[in-house]
Amino acid sequence: MTQRRHLLQAATGIGASLLLPGLAAHAQPGGARRFQGTTLNVSTFSAAYPKLLQQWLPEFEALSGAKVNFDAPSFPVYNQRADLELSTKGSAYDVVNVTFIYSSRWIDSGWLTPLDEFIASPQHTPPDWDLNDFLSGARAPETGRDGKLYGIPWTAEALLSVSSRFDLVQQAGLAFPDTTDDLVKVLRAVNKKERVAGFVSDSHYGWTFVPYLHAFGGDVFRKAPDDLFPTLDTPEAVAAADYYANLIREFGPDGAITYQPDQVTQALKLGRVNFSDAGQLHLAQLGDAATSKTLKTVKFGFVPKGPAGRFPGTAVHGLGIPAGSRNKEAAWAFIQWALSKQTTRRAVAAGYGSPARRSDIDSPEFRSRQRINGSDLAQLSLDSISLAERTGHMKYRTVSVYPQVDQQLNKAIALIASGQANARQAMQQAQAQSIAELRRAGQKI
Amino acid sequence: MGAANALAAPATPRAPASSAPRGWQATRRRAFAFGLAPALIVLLAITLVPAGALVVASLTPLSLTDPAGTFHFRDPLGNYRHLLEDARFLGSIATQLKLSAASVVLQLAVGLGLALLLNAPARVLGAVRGAFLIPMVLPPIVVALIWKILFTPDVSPLHRALEAIGWPVRSLIANPDTALWAIAFAETWQWFPFTMLMVLAALQMMPADPLEAASLDGANRWQLFRYIVFPHIRPVLVVCGLFRLIDSFKAFPLIFVLTDGGPGTVTEVTNYYGFIQAFNFSYWGYASAIATVILAGVFALSWLVGRLGWNDHGKH
Amino acid sequence: MASTEIALPHRHLEDAPAGSGARAGWLRRHGRAAAALVLLAVALFPFLWLVHLAFKPAADLFEDRLLFVPRLDGFRALLQGSFPRSFLNSLAVSTLSTAMSLAIGVPAAYALTRWQFPGRRHVALWILVTRMAPPIAFTIPFFLAYRWLGLQDTLFGLALVYLTFNLAIVIWLMQTFFEAVPTALEEAAYIDGCGVWQAFWRITLPLAAPGVAATAVLCFIFAWNDFFYALILTRTQAVTAPVAIVNFLQYEGWEWSKIAAGGTLVMFPVVVFTVLVRKYLVQGLTAGGVKD
Repeated sequence: MTQRRHLLQAATGIGASLLLPGLAAHAQPGGARRFQGTTLNVSTFSAAYPKLLQQWLPEFEALSGAKVNFDAPSFPVYNQRADLELSTKGSAYDVVNVTFIYSSRWIDSGWLTPLDEFIASPQHTPPDWDLNDFLSGARAPETGRDGKLYGIPWTAEALLSVSSRFDLVQQAGLAFPDTTDDLVKVLRAVNKKERVAGFVSDSHYGWTFVPYLHAFGGDVFRKAPDDLFPTLDTPEAVAAADYYANLIREFGPDGAITYQPDQVTQALKLGRVNFSDAGQLHLAQLGDAATSKTLKTVKFGFVPKGPAGRFPGTAVHGLGIPAGSRNKEAAWAFIQWALSKQTTRRAVAAGYGSPARRSDIDSPEFRSRQRINGSDLAQLSLDSISLAERTGHMKYRTVSVYPQVDQQLNKAIALIASGQANARQAMQQAQAQSIAELRRAGQKI
Repeated sequence: MGAANALAAPATPRAPASSAPRGWQATRRRAFAFGLAPALIVLLAITLVPAGALVVASLTPLSLTDPAGTFHFRDPLGNYRHLLEDARFLGSIATQLKLSAASVVLQLAVGLGLALLLNAPARVLGAVRGAFLIPMVLPPIVVALIWKILFTPDVSPLHRALEAIGWPVRSLIANPDTALWAIAFAETWQWFPFTMLMVLAALQMMPADPLEAASLDGANRWQLFRYIVFPHIRPVLVVCGLFRLIDSFKAFPLIFVLTDGGPGTVTEVTNYYGFIQAFNFSYWGYASAIATVILAGVFALSWLVGRLGWNDHGKH
Repeated sequence: MASTEIALPHRHLEDAPAGSGARAGWLRRHGRAAAALVLLAVALFPFLWLVHLAFKPAADLFEDRLLFVPRLDGFRALLQGSFPRSFLNSLAVSTLSTAMSLAIGVPAAYALTRWQFPGRRHVALWILVTRMAPPIAFTIPFFLAYRWLGLQDTLFGLALVYLTFNLAIVIWLMQTFFEAVPTALEEAAYIDGCGVWQAFWRITLPLAAPGVAATAVLCFIFAWNDFFYALILTRTQAVTAPVAIVNFLQYEGWEWSKIAAGGTLVMFPVVVFTVLVRKYLVQGLTAGGVKD
C-alpha cells in the first residue's frame, strides 16, 4: 500500500513537471520532498476552491513529500470545530480556513501564527510569489491589530444582487431594481409569476441582511472597532429589519427562513426563485451550462441602494496556521503552493469565480468566464470591493466579538420573518442580548 | 433471595466451627470488595471528578479567548445570576419542558396502544414485536437524517404525496408554530418501542385469574382494561414516563440537524443552548453553569425514580 | 423473566358467535395480526425510505418513480474521502468500549448481586444517575482534561468516555442475569474449596453467558450510536461514522445519495445485531423496569 503510494507520488511528480513546465520551474524552495514523513492536517469548509485543491493534492504531496489529510465539512460544522480547536491552541490542524466572521476573534486572541516571517524568508517563499498581488482589501481583514498578516486570502467576494428570471421583469416592463423602493416594486410585479417565488436569501442574515441595514442608515456597532456599543435598536435598524424580513415573508418560497446557501443556489439554478443576494462563489455557478436552467435569463447587479447609500457586503476567507500546529514550516509550504500564482490561475481556468489575486482578476480567462448572459460578474464584484474599501463599512466585522452578534441578527430576522415578533421587539431583543453577550465576553461597553 | 442466609450456616468441615464463619465471611467480603473496587474507582474518576470540575468551572467566567484572565472566583455566583436574567436561557427551559411533555405523552400513548394490540400469542405478532424495535436502536443521527429528508418539502415523499392529493403542506420545521411539534413527532417515532416493550412486559406479568373471573362475570373489553389492566400497568407507565423524561433532556441530534434551534429560538432547548455557549463561543464558565442546572434537574428526577422502587435489586 | 409469549386469555375466540360470516370470523382471528402488520409498515416507512434512497441512482433522487434499477453509486461515492476510515474507527471504539465495560463491570455486578453491604442502595442510585446524566455535563471537563492529557482525538479517549454510560449498563443488566443463577451451585463450589472468584469463573459465568453476550451487544450498540461525545472529542484521527456523515451536509449542496448510503451503512450493524438478539434486547432494555 505504501509502496504503491510512493510510486503514485513519484509518477505524479514526474507527470506534473512534464505537463506543467511552470510547476517544474517553480520548484519547492529548499529542495523537493523536503517534508518527507510529515503528515499535514488541513481543514477548510467545503467550497469551490478547496474542492479544486483536493483534486490537486497528489501534486503537492509529490513535490513536498508530506502526506495531506484534507477535511472539508459544511460551513457551520467547520466553524464550530475550528473555533473549538483553536481556542485550546490544539495541534490537531496545521492549516485552517480563516473564516470571515471569525477572523478578528481568532487573530486578536492569539490563536493563529503570524505569517510575515515565512513570506519574507526566501527559503520558504519563492521571490515571484508576490504578496502584493493579493487585493489589499482582501488582506486587510486577515491582518491583526499588531499589523501582522495571519491569513492568505483565497477568496474575495462581494454580495451581489441576482435575478434568475429577468425575462419576467422585462415582461412586466421594469428594469433591474437599483434602490430598495425599486426592489419592492419589481418584486410585487413578478412574485409568483409562472410559479416563481420573488425573493430568497440564505439564512445567515448576519451576512445577507447587513447591506440593507447599512442602506437604511443603521449599523451594527456605534463606531467599530473602537466603540463596540451595539446599535441594533435604532429607528433606522428597526426600519431596515422590517423591510428585509418583509421581503422574505411576502415574497419568499415555502420554508424561506431555513434556506442554506446551497439551497439558494439550487433554487436560482432551477428558476424556482427570482431575486436573491449572494456572493460570486455561488453566483458563478449560474453560468454552468450543464446544471443551470436559467443561464439564458439571468442578470446580475449591485445590492440595492437605500436612503443612506449603497453598501455591498464583502467577505474574505484565507488560509492560516494555528498557533498550536507542530508542522508550521510544512503548513506554510502547503499554503504557498495552494495560493501560488500557478495554482490560482489554474483554478480560474477551471471556472473558479472569486479569486483574491489582482493578476487573476485582470486575466482574460477570468473575465471571459465571468461574463454570464451579458452581465460582467467580475466587474460588479470588483467595484463592490473597492467601494467597501473606500467607505470602510465592513469594519463592523473586524471585531473579535462579532460572531455572537452575528447570531443575534440571524435570530432577529428569523423571528420577524416568521411572524413571531414585530421588527421593534425583535431588534430590541437582539440589542439586549448582544449587550449581554459582549459583557460576558469581557468587553467594556 | 436468601443468599446471605444460606451462607450464614457454613458448610466447611475443615476449619473449626467457631472461627470458620467469620474467617470465610471476611475472605468473601474482601473478594467482593476486590471485584467491586475497580468499577467504583473508575466511575468515581470519570463521573464525580468531572462533575466536580464542572461545578468549579461554573463559578468562574471562564472564556477561552483569555483563559488566564477569566479563571478567577471573584464573583462565584455571577453566572447563575446571569442565568436568571437571561431570557434566552429561561425560554430554553420552557421549550424543553414543552418538548419533553409532548413527546413523553405521545410515546406513552403510542406505546400503550401498540402493546395492547400486540399482546396476543401469534407467531406473526412475535416477529412484528421484534421489528418494532428498529427505530429505537437506530443511531440518533440517522434518525435525524431520516426526518430531515421527510420534513424538507423539496425531497420529502410525504409532502409530495400530500401535494398530489391536493393538500399541500408548508414546511413544518420552518414554521415556528409547528417546529417543536415536528421534533416531538420525530422523537416519538424514535422512542415509542421503549414504552411499548415496557408495557408489554408488564402485561405479560399480569396474572390471568382476575381477568378470567371478570370476563366470566360479563365485563366487556373496555371495563376489563379500565378496572383491571390499567391499574396494574400504571406504575410501569409512571416509571417509564420518568425514564423517558430524563432521557429527553439529552435531545441533541434531532435539533442539530433539523432546526439548529430555530426558527428563532423556538426549538432551542436548554441542552442545545448550553452546547452553543460552550462550543460555539467558548464561554465555558457560563456553559458549565447551564450544564450544572441540567444535572441538578436530572439528579432530582433520578432520585424520584429511585424512590419509586425502580432500582430495587436489593429486594431479592 | 420477560418472555415474548402472552398470558392474556383469548376472549375473542370464545366470543365468536356460531354461524357468523366467514369474513367476520377471519377478521376476528387475524384482525390483530393484520392491524399489527399495517402499523409496522407505517412505522418502518421512514426507515425504509432512507434505505431505498441509498440504492437509487443520483439523477432520479428527486423523481417520483418508485421502481428503479438499484445502483451502488451512493456507496461507491462513500469510498472516497474519510468515511471508510471513520467506519473502522466506529468498529474499533465500540469493540474497545464493550471490552472495557465488560471487564470492569461484570465483576462489579456480581459483587453487587451477592454482597449485601450498607450503602448498597446509594451506590446503585449513583450508578443509575451516571447513566442519566446529559452528555454536556461531562464533555466540558473531559474536553479540557483530554487536551491536557493528550487523549484528544484518540480511540482510547473515546472508549474511556463511553464508560460513563456503558459501565452503568453492564452493572445494571448483569445484576439481573446473576440473580437468576441459583446460589446453591456456588455454595457447592465453596464447599469444594473454591474461592469466590473461582466459583464465579467456573460456575456462574458460564451459566450467565447468554446474558453477557446480550449485554455486550447492547454496549456495542450504545457506543456505536453515540454522536455528541464523538462530535466534540474527535477531530480527524478518531472520527466515528455518525460524525462523518455530518460532513456530507455540505455548504455547496446536500449530497443526498451519500447521506442515504452513509446512513444505511451506519445503521446496518446495529439493525443486524438487533434482529439477532432481539429476545435478549427486550430483556435488557426493560431490565429493572418492571417490578417482579
